[in-house]
Amino acid sequence: MRSTPRAEAKGTREGRPRRGLPLLFARARKGEGPAALGFLSLGLLLIALFVIYPSVRTLWLSLFDKEGFAGVSNFIDLFRDREIVDFGRFLSREPPWGALLHNLVWTVIHLPLTVGLGLVLAVVFSKVKSWWVGLARGAIYLGIVTPLIVGGVIIRFLFEKHAGLVPQVLGALGAGAPWSAGWTAYPETALLALVIGSVWLWTGFSMVLHSAGLSTIDRELYEAAQIDGASEWAQFRHITLPLLRPVTLVVAAMTFLWELKIFDIVYVATMGGPGGASNVLALEMYFSAFRELDPYRASAIATLITLFSLPVGYWFARRRLGR
Amino acid sequence: MRSWWRVLGVLAVMGALSLGAWAAKLVVIGPWSGDEAKPFEAVLAAFTDKTGIEVEYRVMRSEDLGKVLPAQFSAGMAPGDVIFTAWGWWVKKFADHMVDLGPQVADVPFGFLTPIVVEGRTVGIPYAVWVKPGFWYRKSFFDAHDLRAPSSWEDFLALLARIEAVPGIEKAAASGDEVGWPLSDTVEHFILAYGGVNMFLGLTEGTIKWTSPAVRAVFADHIIPYLQYASEPIEWTSAKDLWWQGKYGIYFMGNWLTGMVEDPADLGVFALPGAKAVTGGTDYIFVPKYTKNVADAAKLVEFLMSKEGQEIRAAGGGKLAIRTDISPEAYPPAERALIQALQGFVIVPDMDDTIGGEWQAAFWDQLKLLWVKPDALDDVLRVLDEKYPKG
Repeated sequence: MRSTPRAEAKGTREGRPRRGLPLLFARARKGEGPAALGFLSLGLLLIALFVIYPSVRTLWLSLFDKEGFAGVSNFIDLFRDREIVDFGRFLSREPPWGALLHNLVWTVIHLPLTVGLGLVLAVVFSKVKSWWVGLARGAIYLGIVTPLIVGGVIIRFLFEKHAGLVPQVLGALGAGAPWSAGWTAYPETALLALVIGSVWLWTGFSMVLHSAGLSTIDRELYEAAQIDGASEWAQFRHITLPLLRPVTLVVAAMTFLWELKIFDIVYVATMGGPGGASNVLALEMYFSAFRELDPYRASAIATLITLFSLPVGYWFARRRLGR
Repeated sequence: MRSWWRVLGVLAVMGALSLGAWAAKLVVIGPWSGDEAKPFEAVLAAFTDKTGIEVEYRVMRSEDLGKVLPAQFSAGMAPGDVIFTAWGWWVKKFADHMVDLGPQVADVPFGFLTPIVVEGRTVGIPYAVWVKPGFWYRKSFFDAHDLRAPSSWEDFLALLARIEAVPGIEKAAASGDEVGWPLSDTVEHFILAYGGVNMFLGLTEGTIKWTSPAVRAVFADHIIPYLQYASEPIEWTSAKDLWWQGKYGIYFMGNWLTGMVEDPADLGVFALPGAKAVTGGTDYIFVPKYTKNVADAAKLVEFLMSKEGQEIRAAGGGKLAIRTDISPEAYPPAERALIQALQGFVIVPDMDDTIGGEWQAAFWDQLKLLWVKPDALDDVLRVLDEKYPKG
């Protein structure tokens, strides 16, 4: 139910507006709250069972080791572990730089590329009326409906020495190894191959959301700008970009969360290798849990991933609660 | 209205029948699929013919089982009645959740691989054996280019150089990749050939360091020079196809390769000159405590390990029988030739499958790095020491 100014005014005390949960409790006094809680109870129960309990249990486990209570020592150990962070090698030598820094590099390259490309493609496709637009839109959208396991296999073959398009084209252009060899086999290129491949897998998401956002912009704004003699670029900069900002922020936040928990394509395409050169936090968590059989370290990594995603989650929650 | 009752009646009968069939069916989980699974499926069919017990075979690799089973065991459940895994270390770790199969194999004459016994309970039974005898080549390719299996290290290097000079050859040796195990098999073979069985066993048991000068010398003097002639890691079935098509001259692989090529009669194999031992391994059978068909599962295990069951498996090729009383005549020609070639060799358990855990994954991954960055040797050896299980 959308709250009207009048409804919000009713839910105020001493003139301060009430939103989100306070508003819900305000309505409870009106008799609407119990019904709402009734509808929510099944969902809340499921969330409590399958989200909150496992999260709390994971956090609890992360404070232990085989000997017993360990406090935050698991977290300190993680930051001392070269497999998580290796500042000694970072940018001065080829990867591995540690799973956390690989996630960071992934974000720095992937986030602007997918958000930017999605925005540009959405704008271009809304302007161009041609037979190939639907085809191109479909090809880009294919990435988002492709299961990530399959995406990993595609990336592996796309960058494979014999079957891969990318090394073959670069080889024909005269590039040497590792660019003309199997990208996933070399530490210099393995992470880059995954990041580039994942741009295709995720750009469709950005494009679709931006396209939806574009359709909500009033056409009269563009007509008025054209009458005033504004160029295409000026229209994009002063109308499209600001009005799409809320959508762009949501896409950026969702993309950041996706990058933090990336696992499937790394597992399939490189298994984090060679020599840990494309390892990421989620894969390291998997290795700890299912190869090392160490639930404590795995829980500490899971908690770390959650901590990194909390600011974005908090921002989302504030947006949903209208603050 | 009557027709509705009929429909309901038919559905009830079908439901009861399917429930009955489901209840009586044994679920067997193994890692083999496609052509590799056919010889095993023949054994299962023979078991059904003999006992009337239906068996459903499902494919799951050790890696996948490793993810699913711990949670299922904790919940007192299991996805199958009889399960195969290549990870002996994993069976030891979860032995509490497995049925004692000692009585089923009491009379089995085992060879170099014996059952896994934990606190007096026999929980893992080695099934069919695979060995990694060395480098495979096509006899037709060697004949066409007047090439011979090497008799010394210098011969081996000369052979690699001659293969690489053949027009159309990309690299002398194909290197298989998956998660890295084909590379670990190759390295283990080099260690056995140029470090010896004691070094191999010492590394497996953790009594010898990877960074020790003797181990480093095996890498520096033999593996690194070999890598100049080896391809970068290529997905192992693709590598097999490319090698068979003539892009590469030799290919290090286990004996299951005989079941994966068009003409097994064209296959030749040689161990590295000087090698007196090769690695071998198996898939271990276990029965989870939580199966409702323990008696039938035990019957199946007994049949799989019987002389009859092992002979049917041997006839399918691709693996060797675990029983020492199976005659060479039970095998197809390629396996018979392999058994002949292995005369005089000691077979030792595969190193990374024995150690397992995080170290195994690190071993595979570090070797993938070494294959493309030989100058990272010291880093690779250091990581292998760091990752070795403590305690």
